[in-house]
Amino acid sequence: MERLGELWRRLLFLFQGSRFNREMEEEIRFHLESKTERIRESGISADEARYAARRRFGNAAALKEKTREAWGWSGLDRLAQDVKFAVRSLSRNPAFTLIVVLTLAFGIGVNTAIFSAVNALLLNPYPFPEADRIVSVDARHISGKNGATGYQDFLDWQRQNTVFESMAITPWTGEYTLTGQGEPQRIAGGGTTADFLRVLGIHPVLGRFFTTEEDQPSAPRVAVLTYESWRKRFNADPGVLGRAMTLDGTQLTIVGVLPPGFVFPGIEACGFFTPLHGPSTLGRTQHQYGVVARLKSGISLEQAQSEMSTIARRLEQQYPATNTGWGVKVQPLRDALAEWARTPVMFLFSTVGFVLLLACVNVSGLMLARASARGKEIAIRSSLGAGRGRIVRQILTETVLLSATGGAAGILLALWLMDVLRKVAPQQYALDAGLHLSPAVLLFTLLVSLLTGIVSGFVPAWNASGAEPSSTLKNDGNAWSRSRSRNRLMSSLVAGEVALSVILLAGAGLLAKSFILAMHVDTGIRADRLLTFRLALPQAKYSSKQQAAAFYRDLMDRLRSSPGVDAAAAVSTLPMTGGMQSGAFEVEGRPKAADWVDTSVQYSRSTPGYFHAAGIPILYGRDFDAQDTDSSLPVGIVNDTLARRFFPGQDPIGQRYKDAYDGKWRTIVGVAGSVKSQQPMNPPVPGLFCPHAQSPSNWMWITLRSRGDEAELTGMARAAVQGLDPDLPLLKIRTMREVVSDSLSGTRLLMQFLAGFAVFALLLDAIGIYGIVDYSVRQRKHEMGIRVALGASYRNVIGLVLRKGALPAAVGVLLGLPVALAASGMLRALLYGISPRDLTVFAGVPVVLLIVALGASFLPARRAAKVDPIVALRCE
Amino acid sequence: MGKTEIPPGTLYMLILRSLDRNGPMHGYGIAQHIQQMSESVLQVEEGSLYPALQRMLIKGWVKAEWGLSENNRRARFYKLTPAGRKQVTAEVAEFTRVIEAITRVIQPA
Repeated sequence: MERLGELWRRLLFLFQGSRFNREMEEEIRFHLESKTERIRESGISADEARYAARRRFGNAAALKEKTREAWGWSGLDRLAQDVKFAVRSLSRNPAFTLIVVLTLAFGIGVNTAIFSAVNALLLNPYPFPEADRIVSVDARHISGKNGATGYQDFLDWQRQNTVFESMAITPWTGEYTLTGQGEPQRIAGGGTTADFLRVLGIHPVLGRFFTTEEDQPSAPRVAVLTYESWRKRFNADPGVLGRAMTLDGTQLTIVGVLPPGFVFPGIEACGFFTPLHGPSTLGRTQHQYGVVARLKSGISLEQAQSEMSTIARRLEQQYPATNTGWGVKVQPLRDALAEWARTPVMFLFSTVGFVLLLACVNVSGLMLARASARGKEIAIRSSLGAGRGRIVRQILTETVLLSATGGAAGILLALWLMDVLRKVAPQQYALDAGLHLSPAVLLFTLLVSLLTGIVSGFVPAWNASGAEPSSTLKNDGNAWSRSRSRNRLMSSLVAGEVALSVILLAGAGLLAKSFILAMHVDTGIRADRLLTFRLALPQAKYSSKQQAAAFYRDLMDRLRSSPGVDAAAAVSTLPMTGGMQSGAFEVEGRPKAADWVDTSVQYSRSTPGYFHAAGIPILYGRDFDAQDTDSSLPVGIVNDTLARRFFPGQDPIGQRYKDAYDGKWRTIVGVAGSVKSQQPMNPPVPGLFCPHAQSPSNWMWITLRSRGDEAELTGMARAAVQGLDPDLPLLKIRTMREVVSDSLSGTRLLMQFLAGFAVFALLLDAIGIYGIVDYSVRQRKHEMGIRVALGASYRNVIGLVLRKGALPAAVGVLLGLPVALAASGMLRALLYGISPRDLTVFAGVPVVLLIVALGASFLPARRAAKVDPIVALRCE
Repeated sequence: MGKTEIPPGTLYMLILRSLDRNGPMHGYGIAQHIQQMSESVLQVEEGSLYPALQRMLIKGWVKAEWGLSENNRRARFYKLTPAGRKQVTAEVAEFTRVIEAITRVIQPA
């Protein structure tokens, strides 16, 4: 209890201001005067009495200090003093302050941005009640392929399990056209099952979510709005329940509204949710969904895993044709979502650590250089009684102040970076939701700024406080030897900087080379002058296959006859966009494979002329043509990867296979070249095509090969499409080159980050080397003068100075290369086409650094060589 | 006769006791009082009273107030608080105990 009172009184003291000092003065004055009078009473003179009183009193100044200190705030006092002094000192050198703040802002800013990604991915708890009970349940084949789940399996899991309290399919997002609310708009929506909200533990803020009955394909269509779309499109009208929304020509009744701030990875753009409507038409072999579930209380992950594995085995026995080799993996939702992004994000996180360290070393060097200019001031302070600790504290206060400012500026940089990341990061990384300045991220920034300040200031503070005041004040030759040691320290710091830069440059070089190689890899199609876009015929309007077939046939006719178009075709799967539709490949006359996954191939449909339009060679046989119709012989074309896998050494033409989608036996009439379906660096998969006329689909990609610039065809294409159907928008219009580039967006992102860091590193190196060479030249003006007087040529002097800059750079390179070579193994997973020890890159890095070192040393070198020997010799 | 310094750690006790005996006093008064009562044996470095008084203020053993001295000058008076009274009783008891023990040890046989 007394401690509280004590604390309270101590706190009050802080608000007294100068009153304490004044009162103390008065009290002591009273004491001394009283004592003086008293002594005078015994007849001593006034002056002597005063003197005696003082002596009896003791050292008034020291006692005043001690009295103040009793209150325990002297530490704070000293800090305030240090800060004031630091601010004054820094504002006298604006150039220095600016450079340091910018350097630290960059270093801290990138760390903040990447940390927010790490936080979003790995640390931040999901905003759902008991989120650790939410798991991802995925089908996993023993060969490691394909983690998506089939709808029938999902239903069986749901029926048979006893470990989950609820289970649902993760929203399957698509785009629809909303009409009847003014202008037709595109709106994204998610298809999921009734228990989705139950799994997450969320309740709608209005109305309800849909029921299992509404999941059935025959049920009336319903929709649940997200909070934002309720606000935006329906003006937050509470009477929205029961109203209808028209999407793609179908009416849906609104039955509920979700709470604000509802997030789930992958659904940020969605405006509503609707039941998947039990796509029971999909066979057991079609795997395309993700599944989430909530563990029952008391059930552990291991228990759930073992039960699901048992269920999977049961299904294997029940459906040997389709489920052999398929197991189940149960893992926390977070782990499942982080799968894609984990490697690149963690790689970036470790890299930015290096960047910050580099910034610290650079700032240390700059502070050291500055300290030499302040040598006199520090000497005076220490001769006046400032202990070593006090001087160290002073310098650390400066660096912490600098890094706090840098941190604040860095947050601005981080905000921009996070915005960029949100737009540019690949979809699968599921980063968008979490990238913002949460308290955790701000705390991180604060800690990092503090640490940066201390680390940056440590070396200069130690060095400055070790100085002997007398020799500095005397300004004699001893100063020379001390500055030699400081010089060596600065050179070591620069060498350290260069070593760190080697690592960053090597990383950037490897990623860049890998990216360029990936960009130029043969994708199997000719990407130049090829325009692509997607069409999604609304099912309400085009409900029959004949309508779809007729539409695309007419569209192709129109496009082909348009000016500027060399070739036009449609295909269901565009290369480099993923979106595979796989199915089993069963050859007539061969025993059915026990494990259909081994024989799964990619199914596509194309219109006649696709291969020609895309620039894919027909190796044997023929393409589809107008004779291949609904009523003629069912045919198919395979790619050469499939031919090599399933018909080694044989001629596939004439053989028949069973179409996994419509069950027809098709005759192979041609073999085409293979294309990459996902990323240029992934090998092509076996695939086949059937004519669109024989197996129509509403969703197709259109490819147009243009005579001139492909982008110019956009307007014409739109006119052709809308001539057939004015309500049909063109989706995802891109040139093929853009498609290839987009498929590499993940790699490109990494490369751009590393490139930015490498540039930063080179800049800092240049500053550092310039700094020490300049410093050295100034110190050695005398010596330079002598050399020139004794006959040293211009080139001699330049060479001398350049060596001064090149030496620490060389040492740095020698130190950094082995570390970089060792660390580059980490990149193996992210590189394509080159080894992590690539010779060109590792040979190039030292060359680049050497050039930078020489370039940075050049200006001071010139200055040194131009020194007038007389002037140099005169000033002592 | 050289100055006899007061035993370490007893300054607080002396100040508190003086305040206890005499009621509120200013710093100079306390110094006078100690000198008088000890019959000039104990000569306190007068300035050292003030840091001690500050610490006692912080601990809440005394309270300070500005008032007028005997010759109508402004001076700060220190007054014992109940907590202070408790403290001085405890300290005196402890000190006496220690002194008695020492006396027992050094008594001639």
